[in-house]
Amino acid sequence: MSEPKSFKAVILCRSCDFVIRKRALPSNVRALCPRCDTALYDTPYCSLNGLLALCITALIVFFPANLLPVLEINFLGSVRTTTVYQTAVEVWGQGYWVVGLAVLASAVIAPALLILSILMQVLIIKLNLRSLFWQSVYRRLLKNHGLLSQMTMLEIYVISFLVSAFQLSDFSDVYFGMGTLSFTLLFLAILFLQREYNLEHMWSYVHVEK
Amino acid sequence: MSKNDNGLPELIPQYAIAADEQANETPQGLKMGLCLCATCKKVNALTEQYCSRCHSPLSARNYASIQQSWALLITATILLILANIYPITLLTNRGVVTNDTIFSGIAHLVKSGMFPIAIIVFTASILVPWLKILGLGLYLSAISFNIPISKRKMMVGFHIIEWIGRWSMLDLFVISLTVALVNMGQLLDAKPAPAATAFALVILLTQLAAKVLDTRLLWDRLETHDDTN
Ligand SMILES: [Zn+2]
Ligand SMILES: [Zn+2]
Repeated sequence: MSEPKSFKAVILCRSCDFVIRKRALPSNVRALCPRCDTALYDTPYCSLNGLLALCITALIVFFPANLLPVLEINFLGSVRTTTVYQTAVEVWGQGYWVVGLAVLASAVIAPALLILSILMQVLIIKLNLRSLFWQSVYRRLLKNHGLLSQMTMLEIYVISFLVSAFQLSDFSDVYFGMGTLSFTLLFLAILFLQREYNLEHMWSYVHVEK
Repeated sequence: MSKNDNGLPELIPQYAIAADEQANETPQGLKMGLCLCATCKKVNALTEQYCSRCHSPLSARNYASIQQSWALLITATILLILANIYPITLLTNRGVVTNDTIFSGIAHLVKSGMFPIAIIVFTASILVPWLKILGLGLYLSAISFNIPISKRKMMVGFHIIEWIGRWSMLDLFVISLTVALVNMGQLLDAKPAPAATAFALVILLTQLAAKVLDTRLLWDRLETHDDTN
C-alpha cells in the first residue's frame, strides 16, 4: 500500500481510474490518459495579474452588453429592440418559465457569477486573506467553478444572434447595435478568462493541513 | 486525432507513463488504495472520508449513478420525442396562425434557401440531442449489460457528448430572441409553444445524466480482456 508521500508522484484518471505517474510537462502540452485519452493535466500555471485584467475588462463590458439592445428589427415602420435580459423575461411572461430561466441562467447569471468568482479568488490570494473564513470562501468558490464555467454559454448566444438575424431578415429589416458589439466583446473577454484560468493552479493556493 | 474536453484547439498529446506497466493487471486506483476527489481532482487515501484539500466527501465508486443516469436518460428520451412532435413556436402572420415544430421550422429555412442556417439549427436541435441520447444509452448499456465495445472509443464519444451537448441551447436562445422582437399583434407575432419547455428539460436532463454517471465503472469490469484499441 502506498504512503502519503507517493500521492504527489501519482495521479488518477478521473474517467477510468487509471494510475499514472505524474511528470512535468513543457508549456502548452497536455497529458492524456494512456488508456482512455481523457485530458488529465497541463502545466498548472496562470497569471494572477492576467486574470485580474481580464476580470475587470469583462466586468466593464458586462453592463453595456446587458443594458443595451442586442438586436433591432424594423417591420413596416414598427421598430422593436430587445436586450438579452428582456428575451428571458418575455418568454417567462408567456408562461414558459423553464425556458426563460434557462436563458437567464446561461446568458446572464452564470457569466456574471463567473467573473465575480474569479475576481474574488484573485483578490483573496493578492490580499493574502488567510483567516478560516476567507479560506472556506475560497474553497467554496473553487468547488463551484466547474459548474459556473459549464453554465456560461455566451459563445452559443453569439451564434444565435446570427441565426436569429438571418431568420428575421426573411420578413423585416434587422440591425445590430452597440449592445451586440458589447456582448461579443464580453464573450471574448470571458473566453480568454477561461483559457487563462487554471483550476489546478488555483487549488495550489489552498493550505492543506496534514 | 485527439480531442480534449474543453474544446480547445489540439495540443501535442503527451502520453503519461503508466505506473504499473510491469504488472499484468491494469492498475486501477481503487486496487491501490487510492481515491480521486471528484470535486478538486486530488488523490486521497481510500481510507479517508473527506478530501484533505477541499473537504468534499469522497466516494470510491458511485454504483447508484448507473440507475440515476438511466432514469434521467429515459425521461429525457420521452421529452425529446414530445419536443419533436409538438409545436415549438406559434407564428401569427397577417392574421394567419401557424404552428411550427422543430422539423417544420428547418423545412421552412431550407425552402427559403438559408441552407447554412438550416444546417446549424438541424445540428443543434435534432442531431445533437439524439446523438447525445443514443450515445449515453450505448454507454450505459455497455456498463449494465456487459456489451463488448471498445472502451477507449466509448470514452472519446462520451467526452464529445459532454462537450457538444450544450449547443442544443442555441434553439432556445433563437426562440427567446424571436419572441421578444416579433410582437406586432395580428400583423406579426411569435410566441413560444409547449415543445420549448420539453426541449429545455431535455437539455437539462441529458447534461445531468452525463454528469452524475461515474465513468470509472465501465473500466472496472472486463479487465482480463485487453482492449486498448
Ligand atoms: Zn483514463
Ligand atoms: Zn477535493
